[in-house]
Amino acid sequence: MTSGPTAYSFEWAAIWRGLPYLIQGAGLTVFISVIAMVLAVLLGLVLAALSQAPGRWPRGVVRGYVEIFRNTPLLIQIFIVYFGLPQLGFRLSPFLSGLSALVLYAAAYNTETFRAGLEAVPRGQHDAAASAGLTPLQAMRFVIAPQAVRIAFPALGNNLVSLVKNSSLVSTIGMVELMFVANDISFNNFRTFEIYGAAAVLYVILVLGLTRLLGLAEVRLVRAS
Amino acid sequence: MTLILESLPYLLRGALSTVVMSLAVIGVGTALGVLLGVLRFVPWRWLAEALGWAIELARAVPLLLLMFFIFFGLPALGVRIPTYPAAVLAMSLWMMVNTAEVVRGGIQSIPKGQFEAARSVGLGWLAMMRYVIFPQAVRRMLPSFVGLCTILVKDTSLAAIIGVFELTRAAQETIERTLRSFEIYLVAAAIYFVICFPLTQLAQRAEARLHRP
Repeated sequence: MTSGPTAYSFEWAAIWRGLPYLIQGAGLTVFISVIAMVLAVLLGLVLAALSQAPGRWPRGVVRGYVEIFRNTPLLIQIFIVYFGLPQLGFRLSPFLSGLSALVLYAAAYNTETFRAGLEAVPRGQHDAAASAGLTPLQAMRFVIAPQAVRIAFPALGNNLVSLVKNSSLVSTIGMVELMFVANDISFNNFRTFEIYGAAAVLYVILVLGLTRLLGLAEVRLVRAS
Repeated sequence: MTLILESLPYLLRGALSTVVMSLAVIGVGTALGVLLGVLRFVPWRWLAEALGWAIELARAVPLLLLMFFIFFGLPALGVRIPTYPAAVLAMSLWMMVNTAEVVRGGIQSIPKGQFEAARSVGLGWLAMMRYVIFPQAVRRMLPSFVGLCTILVKDTSLAAIIGVFELTRAAQETIERTLRSFEIYLVAAAIYFVICFPLTQLAQRAEARLHRP
């Protein structure tokens, strides 16, 4: 290492000063992610169930939704909701724009995951439910869906982990979360290396924590069956 | 409508840049990722373990943060990288670690007996991977790998945030001139769709073929 006027000195103090804000940002990332996860899982369940309904229409509409949202970038979706919709008279706050785009994007993946799960449940289960006198809706609710969720769980877990990482994109429209806070601090104190490094560590903690949690949930789910 | 037609050539130029960038990243990232993914199975326990952890950690960091770290963070150390190479570097790293994960999944799905059989006919580790394990695993990796490529094409849009010219940046520049964000972003989304939809279909077909006996 040559030390000259341009030599960079790593400064722990910059991290310590920024850490309280970064942790708050991480808290907001968790908050946004959890709300988006709950909504995206519910929407995915409903749409996947709908895609199994009789007739061509429900299936086609769900398919169209899934393909459109899966095959276009989340960033463009966020921009359409936040910058595009006001042109049509719908003005949403950064929070609602970011949240709805995240939910719609993740729900498309969840729908596909649940649909695959539903279709992996053996045909005999439907027949057994019907012969036990359950209506199609009851069969779905008590027999098919619980098995499908179990089959779909690992893939669902991946979707949820992606959601946490994808939530960083909402910083681009000014929604405050970990990425936004990291930008905010480092553009002010120019300690970009330390602050982005610290933010990366916080994301790693969140993501590995969630992965661990999902692993535990999967073990319980398997034991429950 | 005329607005859309007038801005289409510019957007298509952006799309071309998106495709070129995607191909470069997929090329570099896949080559390194396959290498890394296979190296995870080396017989030296500590190396395999360390690589596994490095991949796990790198995968947990959002791509946007990786890009900002390389573009805004590294100059603090005196490493100044222009926007385009910075974006390509960040995305290639991302592609590398995610490909390595796909490779791990593929190799782990090969029955243990194949490894033992390869060993028992006297193959070394490299020959075993090269001639026995990897060729079988490739088939199983294909659906997730194509899925990964689709995600990468979509994620090249993040490069626009640090100012790289590609489809999303072209859309932003067009909007700055015309102020019609809804239509222009919709057209950009449609162009992404045209690129990504065939890939998604390909992944689905590969998946279906895998489950057919």
